[in-house]
This record gives sequence, structure tokens and C-alpha cells, in this order.
Amino acid sequence: MIALAIGIAFGFCLERAGLGDSRKLAGQFYFTDFTVLKVMFSAIVTAALGAFWLARLGVLDLAGVYVPETYLLPQLAGGLLFGAGFVAAGLCPGTSCVAAASGHGDGLMVVLGMFVGVVVTGLAFAPLRHFYDSTARGPLTFPQLLHVPYGAVVFAVVALALATFAAAERWERCA
Amino acid sequence: MRRALAIVAATGGVLALLAGSPYPLDVQRLATAVAREDDHVTAVELAAWLRAGKHRLRVVDVRTPPEFAIYHIPGAENVPIESLTAVPFPAEDTVVLYSEVGIHGAQAWVFLRALGHRRVYFLRNGLHEWLDDVMSPTIAEGAPADAQAAFDRVAELSRFFGGMPRKLTGRADTSEDALRARRRGC
Repeated sequence: MIALAIGIAFGFCLERAGLGDSRKLAGQFYFTDFTVLKVMFSAIVTAALGAFWLARLGVLDLAGVYVPETYLLPQLAGGLLFGAGFVAAGLCPGTSCVAAASGHGDGLMVVLGMFVGVVVTGLAFAPLRHFYDSTARGPLTFPQLLHVPYGAVVFAVVALALATFAAAERWERCA
Repeated sequence: MRRALAIVAATGGVLALLAGSPYPLDVQRLATAVAREDDHVTAVELAAWLRAGKHRLRVVDVRTPPEFAIYHIPGAENVPIESLTAVPFPAEDTVVLYSEVGIHGAQAWVFLRALGHRRVYFLRNGLHEWLDDVMSPTIAEGAPADAQAAFDRVAELSRFFGGMPRKLTGRADTSEDALRARRRGC
């Protein structure tokens, strides 16, 4: 029930941010509309600050937060494939569901394409297994990787986000 | 509105720099303290602190009350290890924990650090180190001058606590087996 509520809230926020429209998302790749970057970076900053301060105030136990494991090459390949699909379709998995739910035909087609892709990947998983498990690095976080305090990483993320927002706004005004 | 959110985010980010670790138990900090040997004191160091009347020093015996009643370090208070969380330790206090041979003292050190206390140490080899090095320090006859000078300083501390420094005429049994035989318990 909690997952359902979070999913509905997530979809509602994506729709309100205008991310159910593939033209808006495609604008990110043509550098004419930075909504995707601003929404995603806002989410990262909110999560970084929220997780840090909730843990610092004793409300959240960071040891209980799941950190996905890193597999360098498979995730690099997956990221490139994901990005290519994102540019071609103008939608990502979350926004395609939002687009489909709000009646966009392209959104529906992307959702169908995703399901086909999931099935094909499942059928072809055995020969991919070796690559899938390769270059495992375990659960990595920036504080561990860079040997810097957690708070310094949070500060860097916030500073980078604010600088990026300012640059994106300026770019949009000039474009 | 956007400017206000940016200010809130910037403030949260800057304060995060100064707020310390969000983990209640900062394992890296503990590991560094252990590697630098900042986690413990020797019996002689503790004796010097006690004699000097170190400000807000608390010596805590984490053994059971019957063990405490038989013998304890002068000025120590008895807080059995299972009762540690029930006793307040103000941040200004310097706490030295000890047990019979140091194991429970070291574990108690981890517990108090996990609770956020910073000025915490444990007595390296526990009460046995106190008895060996402070109450019954020894030196071999004909020891080098620097060892003799160090012994004289310890002997003075020892006598302050009612100990009996001794000069060994024969060969002292300092083998590992002999030490283990003397140091049983936790």
C-alpha cells in the first residue's frame, strides 16, 4: 500500500512538472527545455538533504537504507542503452507510464516496448549472465569512494545543483 | 518561491558541512581512533590522571557488584556493563572504563562511542594491568639507567596508591603463559 501511494504521488508530480509530454523531454536533448534536468536535480537535492538531516536528527537509520550494488560495465552499457531509448522515444520508464495514463499514444507504445524489452531480456538472460555479474564493486557511495565526510558530499551536490539551475535558467532565457 | 527554496537548500547544504556524520556509529572514526591508539589508556597513565586530579575524570568499573566489592581502582564507580545505557555521562566528563582484563572495557568503549560520547577510554589490560603495573611494579636488578628512571617515576605513583614497587633479584617470569595465567576473565 505504501509503494502504491508513493507511486501515485511520484506519477502525479511528474505529470504536474509536465514530464508526461515527450516533446518537453526531447527538448532536454536539444538544449531548449531544461525541465527534466531541473526536476531530476531537485529530486536528488531533496533526497540528499532529506536523508542527511533525517539521519542526523535520529529519525532515519541510514544503515537500513538499501544501496544498490555497482556493476561498472553492465551499468555503463545499460545506461547508454537507456539514454539512446530515452532520446529516441522522448520518454523514460516513469514518464512513459505518466504519458500513457494521461492518454498520450506515444506513452502507451513506449510502455508496450518496455514490456517487450523485459521479456526479450529475460529470454536472453542466460548468455548475458556472465556480463550481467561482471565488474562488481559492491554498494558504493561517494563518501566511501572519495574518502570525504557525508556532509561534504551533500554540500557539493547542493552547490552543483544550484549552479546548474542558474546556468540552465540563463541558457533558456538566451535561447 | 524558487529563490526561497534555493536559500533553504543552500542553508541545508552549508550546515551539512558542519553537522558531522549522519551515522550514529561512525565506524571510520572509531577505526581511526583504534589505529592511533586513542581509544585506551595504560594503567600508569590512569594513575597519573588520578593523582593529578584530572578535571571531571570518571573511572568506571564495568564488572559485577561482587567483583567490584572485592577490589576496585581507587575512586572508581561501579556500572555493570548491562547498565551502561541507564547512567548519564555528560559530554564534559572524561570516562575511563575498565574490566578484569580489558575485553568488557573495550566493548563498553564501543557502546559509549555509539551513544555519542567522545571523551571515552578503556584501561588497556583492565584491572590486571593496574595491579601489575601500578600496585606491584617490578624492575630487574641491574636494569639500564633509563629503565630505572622510568621505574622510579612509576614507583612514586605506586606508593601514592599504596602499592609495593619491587626490585627483582632473580629472573622474572614474563612469558606469555605467565601473563595469561595472571590475566583471566573479561
